[in-house]
Amino acid sequence: MRDLTIGMAGAGGDGVVSAGESLITAAAAGGYYGILTKSFGPQIRGGESSFRLRMSTSPVHTPGGVLDVAIALNWDDFLRFGAELPIDGHTIFIYDAQYPPAPSAWSGVTPAEVIAAPIAAIARELAGHDGAKNTVVLGLLAEWFGILPDGLLTGLRKRFGKKGAEVLARNERAFEAGRRYAIEHPIAGAARLDPARRPGETPAPMLLADGNEMCAAAAIFAGCTFFGGYPITPSTEIMQFLGRELWKHGGVVLQAEDEIAGAGAAVGASFAGRKAMTATSGPGMSLKTEMLGLASIAELPLVCVNVQRGGPATGMPTKSEQADLFQAVFSAHGDLVRPVLAPTSVADTFATTVEAFNIAEQYQTPVILLSDGEIGQRKEVVDPIDTRRFSIVERRRPSPRELESYVRYAFTETGVSPISEPGMAGGAYLASGIEHNEQGAPTASGALHARMNAKRIGKLEPLARWPGAVTVSGEPDAPIALIAWGSVAGVAREALRLAERRGVHAKLLVPTLLYPIPQGAYADFLASVRAGLVVEQSHQGQLYRLLRMFVDLPDGLGSFARSGANPFAPTEIVERLVELAQALQRARVPEVGVAID
Amino acid sequence: MSVQVKDFKSDLKPIWCPGCGDFGVLQAMYRALSAVGRPPHEIAFVSGIGCSSRIPGYTTAYGFNTVHGRALPIAQGIKLSRPDLLVVAAGGDGDGFSIGGGHVPHAIRRNPDITYIVMDNHIYGLTKGQLSPTSSRGLATASSVYGSLEDPVNPLLYVLAYGARFVAQSTPADMPGLAAVIEEAIRFPGFAFVNVQSPCITYGQPEAQLKQHKAEMVPVASVGHNPANRLAAMALAQEYGKVLYTGVLYRDPDPGPTFEQAVAERHRAQAGSTSRAQVLDVFTVR
Repeated sequence: MRDLTIGMAGAGGDGVVSAGESLITAAAAGGYYGILTKSFGPQIRGGESSFRLRMSTSPVHTPGGVLDVAIALNWDDFLRFGAELPIDGHTIFIYDAQYPPAPSAWSGVTPAEVIAAPIAAIARELAGHDGAKNTVVLGLLAEWFGILPDGLLTGLRKRFGKKGAEVLARNERAFEAGRRYAIEHPIAGAARLDPARRPGETPAPMLLADGNEMCAAAAIFAGCTFFGGYPITPSTEIMQFLGRELWKHGGVVLQAEDEIAGAGAAVGASFAGRKAMTATSGPGMSLKTEMLGLASIAELPLVCVNVQRGGPATGMPTKSEQADLFQAVFSAHGDLVRPVLAPTSVADTFATTVEAFNIAEQYQTPVILLSDGEIGQRKEVVDPIDTRRFSIVERRRPSPRELESYVRYAFTETGVSPISEPGMAGGAYLASGIEHNEQGAPTASGALHARMNAKRIGKLEPLARWPGAVTVSGEPDAPIALIAWGSVAGVAREALRLAERRGVHAKLLVPTLLYPIPQGAYADFLASVRAGLVVEQSHQGQLYRLLRMFVDLPDGLGSFARSGANPFAPTEIVERLVELAQALQRARVPEVGVAID
Repeated sequence: MSVQVKDFKSDLKPIWCPGCGDFGVLQAMYRALSAVGRPPHEIAFVSGIGCSSRIPGYTTAYGFNTVHGRALPIAQGIKLSRPDLLVVAAGGDGDGFSIGGGHVPHAIRRNPDITYIVMDNHIYGLTKGQLSPTSSRGLATASSVYGSLEDPVNPLLYVLAYGARFVAQSTPADMPGLAAVIEEAIRFPGFAFVNVQSPCITYGQPEAQLKQHKAEMVPVASVGHNPANRLAAMALAQEYGKVLYTGVLYRDPDPGPTFEQAVAERHRAQAGSTSRAQVLDVFTVR
C-alpha cells in the first residue's frame, strides 16, 4: 500500500493528538510524505480530540478521504467527529475493548474488519497507567500496518526523554506491549505500508511544518524584522513562531493591545524602513481594515496575513472557510486596489509569503496573504525547499542625487516613487492618510486626488501579467476546467488526477494572485473551455462571482461552492467532472453548479 | 553642528484659525527641538487626526499624519524598529482619550522613549464643535444642544493611574514654560506625557482662552509640589478642570529601562545565533 489514511479519536487526556504527531514525525523521518489535521471539541482544555493522518510514498495534496484505518479510544468521541473521520466498507476499525460500540452505531456501514483491542487494559497492566493508551496504539499500528517501528521508537525517546526515565520507560513498555499484542493477533489481509525509499537510498531530510509556522519562517527569510499582532484562532501560531525565532534575526515581535495597534505598529515599522507583517483571522481582519487603507494611501509596504475561519463575527473559529475573499478585495473606503495572494499548501505557503513581501516592497503597497485554517493548522511533510531559488526584493530607495531635491510621491512612469526613511538626510517628508500632493502636503484638489488615485492603482498594473499569478495543469486544450484556490486547490489537483483515470480530460487553474485579477491568464486558460467548475469553500461562491466581474466566463462554467467546515472530497469533484464530460458528449452545454442569483 | 529654530520650520502654512492655541504649541516644539539639538531628519513626528494632528507637517521632521486615534501604535512601531530616532507623537484630546484611549495605557506600560503631546481643547474643532472626552458636564455644543450629560475624562489622572513616568501640563499662554516642559519630556528617558491646554478660539469657551490661562495658571513649583511624588501629583491632577496647574507634575526619579532598551537586551541574548538562510532548519526531520 502506497497511501494510508488513519483517523483516531478519544477523550481529553488520551493523547490522541500527540499520537498523531508521533506518527507524522516518524513518517517524515522515514521519508514518507504526509498531512496531519487535528480537530478539537469546543473545550479550552480537555474534551474530545481527533486527528487524521495521510501517509504516502509520493507527495499528497489533501488530508485524504475515507479512512483506511479508524481507531476509537472512546466510541462517543469518535462519533463527534463523524464528518472528519468517515468510514466505509474498506475501513479497518479498531476500538478499545472497554468501550464497545452499540450495534446501532454503525448506521449502515459495515467496516472490512472490526477489532476490539484491549488498549486500556494493556496500558494499565504494562505501563501501570491509562495515559499510555496512545502509545499502545502506536505499537499496534507499527505491527499491523508496518508503520515505522524504529522511527516511532526514536520519536518516543525524543518526546519522553525530557520527561524523565520513568515516563520514558513506561511508554517504551506500552509501545512494545502494543507491538506484541499485534503480532499475537494478526489482522488477516491488512495491507502494509510500502517502504518510502529504496534500500540504500538516502535523500535529503524532509521538512515537517504547519502552514502558520511556514508563513512565519518565510517572513523571516524575506527579511521581515517587525511583527505586530494579537492572538486569534487560527492564526496565532504565526506570532508564536516569530516570538521564538524573529528575535534571533534582530527583529521585534509586539503582541499589541488590539488588532488595530498590531497592524498600526507594523505600519510604523514600515515607515521607519523595515519590512513588516501583521497576521490575524476573520474578526481581526475587520479591525485591520483601517490600517490597510492608511498603508495604501501612504504607499507603505505591509504584509497582512488572514488565516481564514468560518464567519461572520465570531463564526466558527476552529473551522476553515474561504469566505473572506470579498473582504480582502473590497473592504475599504475609497478607491484602492491591493494585491491579495493565497497559498495552496504548507510548502506553497513559503513561496507565496516570500512573494507577498516582494510585491509589497516592489509596489509600496499593503498585500493580503489569504491563507485558511486548513493550511494554517495542518502539518505537512514536504520535500526540502531550496531557498536559493528565491530572490528577495527591496523597496526602491532614493539615490543620493534624488535626495538632493527629494519628492516622496513623485509622479513617475511606473507610479512607484523612491521611498526614503527617517534618518536619511534630505529625505524627510510628510506621510499621511490625508490626500496629498507629490511632496506629501495635504490637498483638497480634485485634480490631484484623481492623479494620485491613478498613480496608486496604476502602479499595480504589471502585477496582472506576473507569470506566477496562476498555475495551470492538466490537458492544455481540454474543454473541461476546474478553478480552485487556497486549500481547495489541493483537492482539485487530486480530483484532476482521478478524473484522468476515469477518462475525463480536464485542466485546472489555481490562482496565487487572487486580486487584481490576472485577466489575460484567465482568458488564455478559458479559450478552450466549454464547461467547468469554480470550486471553493464559501456559501456564495465568492471567487466565481469575483471572476464574473472581471472575466468573460463561458456559460458552461459554474460554481461548486459550499460553506466552511464541510471539506470537499476529490471523489465528489470527479463525479461532477464525469457528468460534465457526459453532457458535453451529448453536445449540449450543461447546467452546472449552484444557481447564481 | 547646532540646529536652529528655523531649521524646523516647514514651508506649509498652518490651517489653524487665527488665535488657535496650537500655534503656540508649534512654536514651543520648534524651540524644544532646537534646544535638544537632533537634526530634523533624525526625528519622526507622528500624529492622529484633528486640527492639532496637522502639526507634523509644519515641521521639517519626518512626519506621519496617520488616522484618528492611532498615533501611539504607529509611533511605537517606529521607535521599536528604529530606536536611534527621536520619536514624538501628538494629537488632540479626542484622538488620545476617546477614539485612541485604549492605546494610552499600553504605551505607558511598555515605556518606549516617546514623547506624547496632547493638545487638549475640550472640543472637536475639525468637525465644527462637538463634545470631546474632556468637555465639561453641562457643556452645550453642536452635538449636545441641551448640554452634556457626561463627566469629562481627566487625562492627567488617567496617565498617572496607569503608571506614567513623566507627566506635565502647560499652556501656550506660558511660552517659555511650555517649551521647557516639552524639552524636558523629550529628554526624559521613557514615555513622557504632556497635556497642553490649547484653547479653541472658534468653538471653545470664551472664558477659557489664552488670556484667562495667563491670569489663572498655577505653576506647580509655586505650591511647593515635589514632582518625584506620584501621589502628590495625583492630588494636583484631581484639580483638572478647576485649577490650571503648569509644569512637571510627575517625573519618576528612577525611570527604569525603556522598551527599546529591553529589546536591545533581548537581541544581545538571542540575535546572531542563526541566519535567514537557515530558517527552515527548525522543520528538518532527521
